Amino acid sequence: MSRYQLDQSDLQFAREFLADPVGYHSPGLQRVLNRMRGADWACKYVLVTQERHGRWLLGKMPRKRGSEIEIVEGVVYTDLLDAERDIFRRRWQDLTGNDLNLALQNAA
Amino acid sequence: MLPIVAYTDKLSVAAGETLSVMASSFGAREYRADLRRIIQGDTNPEGPGYKDERIDLDLGGARKAVEKRFFPGSCVIVPAQRVLSGLSDFTIAAVVRPTLVDERERSIISLPGFARIGIDGEHFVAEAHGHRLEVKQPVNTGAWHVVSLSFSTETGSLTFAVSKDNEAASEDVKPLVQTAKVAGLRCDAKEVVIAASRGSDGRPAQFFDGKIDRPAIFGAEISHDALRRLLADFSQLARMRSLLAAWDFSVKMTTQTICDISPYQLHGRIHNAPARAMTGWLWKGQDLDWKKRPDLYSAIHFHSTDFYDAGWDVDFTVSLPDDLKSGVYAVRLVPDGDEEAAYYCVFALRPPRGKPSRNTVAFLFPTCSYLAYANHRLAMDVPGTEIGMGRVVELDRHHMFLQSNPGIGFSVYETHDDESGVFHSSRLRPIVDLQPKVKSFLGGFGSNVWQFNADTHILGWLDAIDQDYDVITDEDVHEEGMRLLGQYNVVITGTHPEYYTRNMIEALQGFTDRGGRLMYLGGNGFYWVVSFNEDMPGIMECRRSEAGIRPWEPGHGQFYHAFTGEYGGLWRRNGRPPNHLCGVGMTSQGFDICEPYYLAPAAKDPRVSFIFDGVSADAKIGDFGLAGGGAAGLEVDRADQSQGTPDHALVLASSTRHTDIYLMTPEDLLDPTPDWSGTQADIIRADLTFFETAGGGAVFSTGSIAWAGSMAWNSYDNEIARMTSNVLRRFNDPERFSIPEHKDS
Ligand SMILES: [Fe+2]
Repeated sequence: MSRYQLDQSDLQFAREFLADPVGYHSPGLQRVLNRMRGADWACKYVLVTQERHGRWLLGKMPRKRGSEIEIVEGVVYTDLLDAERDIFRRRWQDLTGNDLNLALQNAA
Repeated sequence: MLPIVAYTDKLSVAAGETLSVMASSFGAREYRADLRRIIQGDTNPEGPGYKDERIDLDLGGARKAVEKRFFPGSCVIVPAQRVLSGLSDFTIAAVVRPTLVDERERSIISLPGFARIGIDGEHFVAEAHGHRLEVKQPVNTGAWHVVSLSFSTETGSLTFAVSKDNEAASEDVKPLVQTAKVAGLRCDAKEVVIAASRGSDGRPAQFFDGKIDRPAIFGAEISHDALRRLLADFSQLARMRSLLAAWDFSVKMTTQTICDISPYQLHGRIHNAPARAMTGWLWKGQDLDWKKRPDLYSAIHFHSTDFYDAGWDVDFTVSLPDDLKSGVYAVRLVPDGDEEAAYYCVFALRPPRGKPSRNTVAFLFPTCSYLAYANHRLAMDVPGTEIGMGRVVELDRHHMFLQSNPGIGFSVYETHDDESGVFHSSRLRPIVDLQPKVKSFLGGFGSNVWQFNADTHILGWLDAIDQDYDVITDEDVHEEGMRLLGQYNVVITGTHPEYYTRNMIEALQGFTDRGGRLMYLGGNGFYWVVSFNEDMPGIMECRRSEAGIRPWEPGHGQFYHAFTGEYGGLWRRNGRPPNHLCGVGMTSQGFDICEPYYLAPAAKDPRVSFIFDGVSADAKIGDFGLAGGGAAGLEVDRADQSQGTPDHALVLASSTRHTDIYLMTPEDLLDPTPDWSGTQADIIRADLTFFETAGGGAVFSTGSIAWAGSMAWNSYDNEIARMTSNVLRRFNDPERFSIPEHKDS
C-alpha cells in the first residue's frame, strides 16, 4: 500500500497533468502519478485496443493472472491524450472520493 | 482476440530447407497460408507505413483449423519396467519444500494406480489403493519437509509421516504420523511420476510447485527416523538392501536425464524443463557454485507453469525455394478469410550453409532477446510497469490472448505462480509478440513497438536504401561464430540485443577484432548472460544475479546456470563488459519520451567526417522519431572508460536530459540518493560513440533503443537515417580503419 495519499494540495498537479499528460512533470505531479499508476489494483485502468492508433476501450486489469479484463461500459477513446486525462480523473475520484472537475472549479 | 495461433519448428532456416508449421484454432474454422517477406511492421500512421511482400509460393489451399491446447507443468517420469510389480511391503519417501499451496491437488511422488504422496488443498496427504491419510496441520511453504509413506504386511499398518525441518537447528524434529490398518497391498504401477501424477487423459496432472530432493522407494517398511538419517547420506542409502530406487537430481544436471543411484537403474527424464541445479535439503550456504559441490544442488524446482515444447501436431511443411533471398519472412495464416486477424509465424531465412552468399552486410536477428521477451506480460503482471512507461498501458490483441491463455508459457520477465523467477524461455511454442503490427508496453509514446516490430524500422530502412543484406540469427552465431560472421564486412544489430551467450559475445568481439564493422543500432545491448542446452534445443536459460534491472532474483546460492554452469547475470560482471565490444554500456531506462542528441566537439574530428556527410551542421540531431519523439531514449547507454570503453573512442553526440522516469541502473547506483534521475544526473544519457579496432575494423554505437524509430521518421528521409547510411557505406568499404596514434582531444 502506498504511503502517499492524495488531497486538496495535489490539485495544482492535477492541473499540470491535464495541460500536458505525457513528458516532463514536476516532482509533485510525478508523486501523484506514482500513487495512481503503482500497485493499487483498485484503479488499474488499461486501454484495450480496438484499432491500433485509432480506437481504444477502457478496461480494468484484474490482480490474478489469467482472469478476465473487465471492460468499462460505454467508454471509447480515439485519442491517447484524452484517454490519459479521463483515466486521471477516474483515479482522482477513486482515490479521493471527489470529482476532479468540481474540485478544480471550487478551488478556482 | 487471436482466432489462430502457430509456431514453426525453427526460427532460422536456409533456402532449400523445410520449415514445419504447427497451428491451433482459437475460434477459427479454417485458414489459408501464404509466405511474406517482412519489410516494415509498424502500423503507426505517422510512420512509413506497413509493408510486406507476398512471395509467389503455393502453400496449399484452405486447411481446417484444428484446436490444440497448451499443457504446462513440469515433472519427472520414470518408467518402472517391472521393478515395482508385486511390491507389497514398501516405503516411498521424498524431501520437499513446497512453495505454493492453494485449492489444487498436487502430487509429490506417485506410483499411478497404486500410491501417492501429495498436497491436497493445504494439507499433506498420502494414498495407497484407496486408503487416504491426511496430516491435519497446514503445509508450511518455504520449509523443508521429509515425507514418507510405508506399509508392512506383517502389522497391516499403513503409515504416513511428515517431519518439518526446524529453522532453529537445535530443536529435535518431531514427525506428524497418521496410520491406518490395511488388509494387504500389492503394487501394479508401471511408472513413477515425481512432482505430478497421471490424469485420466493419460497426461501428467496434479503438478507440484516447489522443490523436491532425493525421492526414494524401498521394498520394506522403514521408520521415519531411520529414513531421515538414510536420506541424508547417499552412499549409505545406495547400499540399503531394500532400496528399489533413489533419484539423485544432482547427477547429469545439465541434461534432461534423471539418475537412479540404486542398482536397478530406474533412470527417468524431466518433462517441461523444471529448474535444475537448485539448492537442496542439505545446502546451508557451504558453497555458491554447484560445479564445486554438486551434491548440495540435489533439488529440482518444479512449477505447474513450466513449459518447454508445445508438441503440437504439424499442420504442414514449407520447402523454401533455393532462389529465395535471405531475409525476415513470415508464414502468414489467414483465418476464415479475415486478413486483419492473420497470424504471422516470423522466421529468418539465413544465407546458405557452408558457402558464402555474395552479401557483405548482415542484419543480426536477435533471437535470444526475442526469446527473453517471448510472450512477456510486464504491464499486465507488474503494476508498476505503468510508472516506468509514464503513460497508460495499451493492451493489443495478443496481450488479450496472453491474458486468456497463461498456459502458453512465460518470458524470463515473469514469475511463476509461486513468485519464483522464470529461468527458461522456449521457442517451441507460439510467440505471439514476435509478429509485425503488434504494439507493446515499452516502446515509448508514439509507435510503442518493441523488439521484433521495432527492429522492422531497421529492415524498412535497409529496403528504402536498396541495400542487399543477409539475415543471420543469434542461434546461428552461437553455433557457427566467426565462420559465419567472417563472411561480412558489416554486422547490424537490432534495437535491443540485450541477451547474449558467451559464444555470441566472443564471436562478435572476434569479428570486430579481426577487422569487422559493427553497427549497434540499439540500447541496453550485450547485457545479460544466457545459455542454450545441448540436450534441449530451442530453450534458453537466464538467471539474473546480483545487479542490473531485474524482475526477480534466482534465489540465494542459485546464481550459476544449470545448462552450462556459467555465472548468471551481467556480462559486465563476467569479464565481457559491453563497453569492450561496442564502446557503451547500459545506464538508464524510461519508456515515456525520448530526446535529441547534441553534437560534441568530437563530431568535428576528421576520423568521423564520413558520418556527417550531407548532414546539416546543427548542434541538435534526432529531435523527432516514432519512439517517444526523439532518437535518444527508452534504454540508453553511456561511454565509460572505467567500464572498458576504449581510450580512443569518440563520443560524437549525447542526450543532455531525460524525464525523471529515467533512473540509474542498480549496478551503478551504489548509494541511492534522490538525485540519480533524468533531469538531474549527467550520467543518464545516450552517447553516440565511434571507434576503430586494431584489426582495421570499426564500431558505431547509438546507445539508444529509440534511434531506429527516428531512422523511420519521414519515410527514412532525415538526418538520423542519413548518418546511419553514411556509416553503413563506409563500413561496407573494405578499406581498413586505423586507430589514431594519440587520442584526439
Ligand atoms: Fe530489455
